[in-house]
Amino acid sequence: MKCTRCLLQLLGQSAHTAARLARPTLPRNPQHEQAVRRFRGNKGGPVPAEFVGEDPGKRSVVPGDPFATERKTKASFAEALEVFAKADVRRRGHVEFIYAALKKMPEFGVERDLAVYNQLLDVFPKEVFVPRNFIQRMFNHYPRQQECAVQLLEQMENYGVMPNVETKVLLVRIFGEKGHPVRKYQRIMYWFPKFKHANPFPIPHQLPEDPVDLARFSLKRIANHLDAKVSVYQMPRTDVTDSGDQIGLPHIVGIQSPDQMELLGKHDPGRPVFVEGPFPLWLRKTCVHYYVLRAEPVPPGEKVEEPYDPERCFNYPLQLQLDLDRDLGDIETFDVEDLDEGPVFAMCMTSQGDRATLNRWISGLQESNPVLGHIPTLFRLQAGASELRAETRRDESPAEEPEEEEEARRRRN
Amino acid sequence: MMNFCRILVLSNCFQIRKQLLRCIWPKYVHCFPLQRSIKTHSRNHAYAKDLFLGQVNKAEVFPYPEIEIEELEEIKQLVAPVEKFFNEEVDSAKIDREARIPTETLNGLKELGLFGIQVPEQYGGLGLSNTMYARLAEIISLDGSIAVTLAAHQAIGLKGILIAGNESQKKKYLPKLASGEHIAAFCLTEAGSGSDAASIQTRATLSDDGKHYLLNGSKIWISNGGMADIMTVFARTEVVVNDMKKDKISAFLVERAFGGITSGKPEDKLGIRGSNTCEVSFDNVPVPLENIIGQIGDGFKIAMNILNSGRFSMGSSSAGMIKKIIELTSEYAATRKQFNKSLSEFGMIQEKFAVMALNAFVMESMAYLTSGMMDRPGLPDCSLEAAVVKVFSSEGGWICVSEALQVLGGLGYTKNYPYERYIRDCRILPIFEGTNEILRMYIALTGMQYAGNILTGKIKEMKKGNIGLAFEMIGKKLKNSFGSVTNSALSGKNGVVHPSLAESAQKFEQNVHLFGSTVESLLYRYGKTIVDEQLILKKVADVLINLYAMTAVLSRSSRSIRLGLRNHDHEVLLTNTFCNDAYFKNNYWMTQLQKNSPENNDASIKKIAKEVLENRSYICSHPLERTY
Repeated sequence: MKCTRCLLQLLGQSAHTAARLARPTLPRNPQHEQAVRRFRGNKGGPVPAEFVGEDPGKRSVVPGDPFATERKTKASFAEALEVFAKADVRRRGHVEFIYAALKKMPEFGVERDLAVYNQLLDVFPKEVFVPRNFIQRMFNHYPRQQECAVQLLEQMENYGVMPNVETKVLLVRIFGEKGHPVRKYQRIMYWFPKFKHANPFPIPHQLPEDPVDLARFSLKRIANHLDAKVSVYQMPRTDVTDSGDQIGLPHIVGIQSPDQMELLGKHDPGRPVFVEGPFPLWLRKTCVHYYVLRAEPVPPGEKVEEPYDPERCFNYPLQLQLDLDRDLGDIETFDVEDLDEGPVFAMCMTSQGDRATLNRWISGLQESNPVLGHIPTLFRLQAGASELRAETRRDESPAEEPEEEEEARRRRN
Repeated sequence: MMNFCRILVLSNCFQIRKQLLRCIWPKYVHCFPLQRSIKTHSRNHAYAKDLFLGQVNKAEVFPYPEIEIEELEEIKQLVAPVEKFFNEEVDSAKIDREARIPTETLNGLKELGLFGIQVPEQYGGLGLSNTMYARLAEIISLDGSIAVTLAAHQAIGLKGILIAGNESQKKKYLPKLASGEHIAAFCLTEAGSGSDAASIQTRATLSDDGKHYLLNGSKIWISNGGMADIMTVFARTEVVVNDMKKDKISAFLVERAFGGITSGKPEDKLGIRGSNTCEVSFDNVPVPLENIIGQIGDGFKIAMNILNSGRFSMGSSSAGMIKKIIELTSEYAATRKQFNKSLSEFGMIQEKFAVMALNAFVMESMAYLTSGMMDRPGLPDCSLEAAVVKVFSSEGGWICVSEALQVLGGLGYTKNYPYERYIRDCRILPIFEGTNEILRMYIALTGMQYAGNILTGKIKEMKKGNIGLAFEMIGKKLKNSFGSVTNSALSGKNGVVHPSLAESAQKFEQNVHLFGSTVESLLYRYGKTIVDEQLILKKVADVLINLYAMTAVLSRSSRSIRLGLRNHDHEVLLTNTFCNDAYFKNNYWMTQLQKNSPENNDASIKKIAKEVLENRSYICSHPLERTY
């Protein structure tokens, strides 16, 4: 911000150098790069950029859809912009062109690219729309153009792209210092930095491609415990059976924290544990599914509280033998109705949520939790993950009743 | 009318209850039921505890304890050769460098009888009282490694035999231990168990023939672990209580000669490098039944008693060290010149010496007051006072050594001077024999329990909204705010404090009075859940530590004035300075303890810690970071 202010002081100071640098986004030679943030003052009058040495033959309006190209990349998008910019000195139809370009940006995968937005802003002719007297300034000067620029900034905002100084320089040169787009820019610059770290659990735009890495990332997100250990019970691979059939083995990635291991170790072997799932987890536009190993909460009557042992601590009493409770005025906790949901012992992710696969997970868990060998494990699986995904896509009525697949499985070592 | 009746009934119950509690209370002395019954007169052994009620039990601490003139002569005769030995034959720098105490030095210590200071004479020890032990500790502490080796040997290592062993065990082991032929160690700490008895894993199982226990497990950080011949080992044993099998801790006397004992490599420590600290493992060590200390299953109480009784001497040790350091440093400050002025003329340097003198004086006063109380007939329970002494002196010692090093500046930081060694040695004091955090909990909770037992009835009545009681309270408060806060019991006519200390005594009494009502309001507000309010307990403990320190200096200087000891005017100065300082600190802490006090930052402190600990890192963004 500060450097912008400095630059604004330079306004009009170097009219002739600025003329050469009319297109800061597309520097052609090193000189341009050095002074790329400079811009021309509005005192010099409207001198169309690149007027000198322009071949009149090329000045025809681009025919047809400029974005109708095979390769949808950043380079081709930039090329389309360039073609338009060079076609006509007056940039006839640039508002329509910019609207069209904005719409096409996601297609080219440049919707989060600041440089492209700046390049697109550069399509506006400079200094033409800058109000030159107080009457112009009072009324909405060139409303269509201003609205278009605001729309552009709005799209940036929606995609979470933060403008930079270059954007500001362009906006000031196009619409003057008090135009609506500059105001919009200022508002964005006020709020964006404040919200940048608002989410304590940010999701990267680019999720890991590898399903194992994705599972690891998602599990770490759900089980937000620094001690929790992710273990890969099975890497995805393809096996060939004796009969020559190919069997794809899905990945199984699980997570468990030491606390969960301790809880499981204390679990009463007479009560079953359940493998439940799949439960959806949304990561931006991706949905993944996970399974949990859990138990029903212990009925209130059977809870055994560890009795206080006065011979526990060598150095000080761990409890006071007093018949006095905390005063009402000093109870600072809220009255929250606790619902005991029962402990969750571990979680896993796999691409194939059938019983055989999950069984392999449980066997893997058993290595670090030997107690699992004595606890009956029941499977309560709902309709498979793939079906669920299909349902959400079809936007159908709520999912069917979960088919209650229960099977007692008692493994003995 | 109803209410009134209730008060009457209640206050009656209350009285009875109070008496009952008085009888039941001394629970930390379970190990000496026989000895307790032979005490000559019933005494109220609760000076520090009574402070929690806002009462000064002045009979306990005034006059300052004295020893007989013969005893004084005896101790002087004992101290002189020990002092000579430490000054001339102990090379602390070498001990620190080589991380071992030379055999000649150890032999010298043995010849002086320092391995059996408190072992009764009939078993070949010196048979000294706690006070005389404290006096010797002052000199022994000149070398940290030797002090820790000796303390591990006799303050905890063989203490088990002394306080809970039977006659045959004493006869068998004490003579050799007292002479230093055998060295003792105390094996309690384990990898998973510091203060937590439930996590002790070492187990003793009765052998098939029922003649001995088989000991299995391993203990860590055992002082003297590598050279001890006799060890007091605590292990889990199966005990049948009410027809139920239960695990209880028992104490065993284990000789290295029993076999199956291995010691690990000595730990490479920051300080007290000459003392031997290592892991000790027990592999099926056969321990005969007659080597159980006390009864089977009594280990917890024995361990607690040993730990509680081992702490009091740290006060005099630290004081001894500081006194030595003052001598060394003041010489430097007097000779070193800057800008044609000697260092001793600079105010900030002078302040450091004042701090050192104050600390040494307070520690000394507390240490000998406590040891004097412990030496009284009837085996009084002074564990609370001992803990106070330990906390105050370990922290004061650290401050003083650090200030002394600061006087020397860069020189103090080099190995050419002993200060860096003192600093390293000193750092163990707040850690061992119960960390200061744990001892603060002990101090505050023991007092809270004591006060709670007595105040519960009153507080319950207040909570019920008893108007009569409320009026009584208001009346008392009004009376206090108008007239003198409390009619001074210490100074004034027939007072026990000398008039030149009257002002300090008054401050002390004001503090005690306020402390009593603070404790009462804390009990009213938190009840038994105060256990979880560690930050509050810390302040309570800190106030109590200061109050006990004030008592000690008031009592000591009053005696000095009365006797006309040399430089008693200096003592008066020190006392008044300390009391003034402590008075304001106490007031501040007690203000923090009031409800909704703006001075109290506890909630924020907890929140900061929570946020840091949740992330397990410092979570602020770097100051150079930016968002655009």
